[in-house]
Amino acid sequence: MSNNRVSRRQFLGYTLTGVGGFMAAGMLMPMIRFAVDPILQENTAGDFVLTDQAVADLSEEPVRVDFAYEQVDAWYTSEVTSSAWVYKEGDKIIALSPVCKHLGCTVNWAADPEHPSQFFCPCHAGRYEKNGQNVPGTPPLGPLDEFTVEERDGFLAIGAVKANSLI
Amino acid sequence: MYFIGKDMDQFIQQKEYVDTAIVPLLEVDLSTEGVKRSASASEYLQSLTALLEKQFKGRILLLPPISYAKKADRERIAEEMNQELQEAEFKHVFYLTTDAAWRTIDSLENVLWLPAIPIENMDQRFRNSVMEDQLRQVLPLFTKEWTKPS
Repeated sequence: MSNNRVSRRQFLGYTLTGVGGFMAAGMLMPMIRFAVDPILQENTAGDFVLTDQAVADLSEEPVRVDFAYEQVDAWYTSEVTSSAWVYKEGDKIIALSPVCKHLGCTVNWAADPEHPSQFFCPCHAGRYEKNGQNVPGTPPLGPLDEFTVEERDGFLAIGAVKANSLI
Repeated sequence: MYFIGKDMDQFIQQKEYVDTAIVPLLEVDLSTEGVKRSASASEYLQSLTALLEKQFKGRILLLPPISYAKKADRERIAEEMNQELQEAEFKHVFYLTTDAAWRTIDSLENVLWLPAIPIENMDQRFRNSVMEDQLRQVLPLFTKEWTKPS
């Protein structure tokens, strides 16, 4: 038997502190977890959609690559199909958005017989160079947007839209 | 552009560029034997016009489909709609329909009659390629109309 005996008062004091501590921890833990949650969150901006375009098949000539992803509008999930104009410059893969910067039509590569190496918008005859630069004197006011791209097992994956980085 | 509030702001500002209206004409048949075919045609027509809208967003205004009963007076619908569109000063108006009765009505110009393809049983990928094919057949009609000297 040790000499310093624990009195009844002390014993109750320790017990209450212990139980109180557990309860406080039980309440604080979720609060702290919620507070730091944004830091633990995985970065979802890097959401890439895998396409069925083999990277090896790409050339310097832009080709249209279609891809589909699911879009959630409140409670309604729909499959959205989108496309990109993809070509290679050296070893770099470049994917341009087909959305015209004028009023949002879809542009096509080499659709205008008079300008076979430009993107052409059929709505108001807007034109873009191969790197997406808008041709002055045509309606568009800015260059085509670019997609972030990635190679996955030899296939092309398309990510988020960003401003054109080639110009 | 779609006929929705958000697009109308842009439409009002850029009216000089949006000079073409698309009016889908849709026959609604609710009889037991016709309802399936009618609904399928509606699905086809609406997905085709949505593709057109995507392609030519900045130049066309896609109106909501005009739905009418089998026995509707098509002459009257044509006349009223035409008048409204003329007052709105659209330079070009296209009517898209799968209803063969419109082929005999001469008061409307640019009625594109398309035989409906039942797309409901196709898987997504095949359906996309079929609709792309259909779109490719319609596109030249638009560019031809636009480049036509008026």
